[in-house]
Amino acid sequence: MRYLLAVGAAGLLLASCSDGAPGEATEAQQGDGTDTVDLAEFPDRPYWGDTHLHTDVSVDAFGFGVRLGPEEALRFARGEEVTATTGMKAQLDRPLDFLVIADHSDAMGATRRLYDAPRMMVRDPTLRRWYDMMHESPEQSTRAVAELITAAANDEIPEAFRDPERQAAATRELWDRHLDVLDRYNEPGRFTAFAGFEWTLMPSGNNLHRVVMFRDGSAKTREVLPYPGLDGDVTGLWDYMDAYEETTGGKVLAIPHNSNLSNGQMFELVGPDGGAMSAQYARRRAAREPVVEATQIKGDSETHPFLSPNDEFASFGVAGWELGNLPLTERSTPDMYAGSYLRSALLRGLTLEERLGVNPYAFGLIGSTDSHTALATGDEDNFFGKHTGNEPSAERAMDAQNLGTRQGRFGWHYLAGGYAAAWARGNTRAEIFDAFMRREVYATTGPRMVLRLFAGHDFAASDWGGDWVRAGYTRGVPMGGELEDTGRAPTFLISALKDPDGANLDRVQVVKGWVDAGGEAQEKVFDVAWSAREMDGASDSPVPPVGDTVDRLRATYKNTIGAAELRATWTDPEYRRGQRAFYYVRVLEIPTPSWVLYDAVRFGLKLPDNVIEANVIQERAYSSPVWLRPKNRPQTRPQVGDAPPIMEAE
Amino acid sequence: MIRSALRDPLAHFLLAGAAIWGVLALAGEPVDPAERSITLSREQQAGLALAFERTMGRAPTDAELDARVDQWVREEVLYREALRLGLDEGDPVVRRRLATKMDELAGAEAELARPTEAQLAEWYRDHGTDYERGGILNFEQAWFPTREAALAARGEDRPQGQSTSLPRTMAKADREDIARAFGTAFADEMLALSVARDWQGPIRSGYGWHLVQLYHREEGSVPPLEEVRDRAERDWRGRTIQARREKAYQLLRDAYTIEIE
Repeated sequence: MRYLLAVGAAGLLLASCSDGAPGEATEAQQGDGTDTVDLAEFPDRPYWGDTHLHTDVSVDAFGFGVRLGPEEALRFARGEEVTATTGMKAQLDRPLDFLVIADHSDAMGATRRLYDAPRMMVRDPTLRRWYDMMHESPEQSTRAVAELITAAANDEIPEAFRDPERQAAATRELWDRHLDVLDRYNEPGRFTAFAGFEWTLMPSGNNLHRVVMFRDGSAKTREVLPYPGLDGDVTGLWDYMDAYEETTGGKVLAIPHNSNLSNGQMFELVGPDGGAMSAQYARRRAAREPVVEATQIKGDSETHPFLSPNDEFASFGVAGWELGNLPLTERSTPDMYAGSYLRSALLRGLTLEERLGVNPYAFGLIGSTDSHTALATGDEDNFFGKHTGNEPSAERAMDAQNLGTRQGRFGWHYLAGGYAAAWARGNTRAEIFDAFMRREVYATTGPRMVLRLFAGHDFAASDWGGDWVRAGYTRGVPMGGELEDTGRAPTFLISALKDPDGANLDRVQVVKGWVDAGGEAQEKVFDVAWSAREMDGASDSPVPPVGDTVDRLRATYKNTIGAAELRATWTDPEYRRGQRAFYYVRVLEIPTPSWVLYDAVRFGLKLPDNVIEANVIQERAYSSPVWLRPKNRPQTRPQVGDAPPIMEAE
Repeated sequence: MIRSALRDPLAHFLLAGAAIWGVLALAGEPVDPAERSITLSREQQAGLALAFERTMGRAPTDAELDARVDQWVREEVLYREALRLGLDEGDPVVRRRLATKMDELAGAEAELARPTEAQLAEWYRDHGTDYERGGILNFEQAWFPTREAALAARGEDRPQGQSTSLPRTMAKADREDIARAFGTAFADEMLALSVARDWQGPIRSGYGWHLVQLYHREEGSVPPLEEVRDRAERDWRGRTIQARREKAYQLLRDAYTIEIE
């Protein structure tokens, strides 16, 4: 008893001596960054970031064991060394330029509060059982959260956890403190800390999650609370976003992710009620969701071999994740894939546009981590795991990793990766957010390749000799833009630089999607540049494989193959007048070891052959598309330097 | 120094804690709550009401609060008896939770605190080099795919190299800027060069080989506190929390004789 008295006495002493508020951010740090830094004339470099990071504020992340909060997450992203939950020192070789901490809005902070609550206050039998499991051991805690996610997916979450009214007071306190921390770390010109959260819509376990990202500082974001929403449909989120913009004059966008786990529901052809999609719905979606997360730890959503049988690189990050929805409570069938993967969604957008006059799925592409460790790691040799339960250890590579079942997905199915690159004129909230709005962003699976894409009608190879970036902006449109269809085939200036600290490049491809004369959606992948190697003569013969220098036993590779930079001036040879089409660029690296092989070396693992082969990978970048815009139709997205658009509330 | 240490709340915590722990440790007696009176203060009752409110979203009624108080007393009695029986020993959950709580208490003060000017200045005196910008360079570079090609071009007046998308010149670039564009190894080599009229190199980057002309260089310098105040304050807070936890632990630990067989 005296033991406890000592703790109590010390606690009182400390409380009574507390002498003031936390350090306050400057005015510049609290705002959106307008007029705080000198801006480049045109976006002059990609800014690197993660828009999808969870900390101990997230219901699941805390339950999975993470004990690092937003402050540690920000320190880590800025390049400082932190100690991971499981005790290892963690640091990024190269810091990030921006970060969106996207903790789940549902029951924000609730597992932490549950964990810290006196047991007797926990009256709900389910919550009490989870409480006991969380305190018993890390394994039991992980199991409790798996149950929690499955319960959420099945609509069986205890009332005390799901009722927003009950959560509101606690969330308010937490959100206010969080926004203060974000402002303190937000440093215009050097590092941008965005306010955001994850909205976890998941009917029947089908993943319709969105990351919500604000352009503004705390003066505006304090006016709202993160919007919870296990129920309802996506229009509820858009109503919330409309209301925020109307009330505060601020700006906010949403980023769908893990469409690969949506069982075809993320990019449906129908409206949210199952009826025909309305033009109004399409317009709102296009306005609210300018970009989609294409790749992250839980798999890659670009395309699937079933949808793209002629694309030999279509299977990246598909294994394990194609089996079913998020908690694997419902299996996927091939007819669902078209609504789950981005390339077919972009095609559906063209088809829907023909009918509705507006394209709901004209989005740009980014990557992010979705790490639940508070550590935004995207590199294969520095992978800290999806959640704290699989921070580096000898077991994680081969462990079953399923939430709802015991089969199907294993540790090695996780990808180490996902970063977002934004072409912006400066590192501020406003500039990077606006790059997202105009889709001048791209995705990588982790490496920091520098990828540029311009589309125009009068580009020529000679442009490379001059100021081609200026040419790109003044005589064409950058990635994410819309090029007016003049009746002439579009020409693209494409430049891809390897990650200076990473692997060489194998090839650059253009992925084209279009609607043919019969109204059918078509896709084709063109190789447009590759490192010098012999072709076998015929002009349409495929580019031979680049080779493979990966030492499977040592987890090493050599940059003796591939190229440092690849450029192309490419004109679409299959263009037809009036054809409605999109074009995006995919850049492939030479084969390299994935995190699983690095783990094998680090922990002396003996891996099965199929696992080793599946973990020699070609990492990649995906640009946002450029669309051909029918003549005389106005531009639907803002351009560089435009004021952000005023969204119509409907 | 001693006087300021005595004003430090951490010192209070440590002294109070150490005294009690010391007594316990020296006496070596088992936890024996001889005291059989239980007091539930107004503050503790308010705490119960608050916890209720946090869970239920409203204040408790009198009857509900009474029920909580009864429950609290019941748990307190059973808890003390459990301690008396030594049931807390060997329970990893109890162990870990109490240990974490002690840790958090030791750091709690610093989490909210704002350092005084004097504290911040002292911190900055001791850690200023953390904020050093490692040299600022202005340079021009020419890229070659092979070392041989670079060597062959070194005699030229202004080597052109091959056209790439890499920046031809960089101005006011620090290590981070250079590493972002050319890789970390290249950045380190650049920082080791001296300013010269001649082209230097070849230097290797992730892309190939470069001849470089370094025409301006500011030595690394520690910026004045004003420029890095926010970062310094954050760092002070982070490390102070760490240090307090460590100090509290060490002080407590020193009261023990530890033998690991």
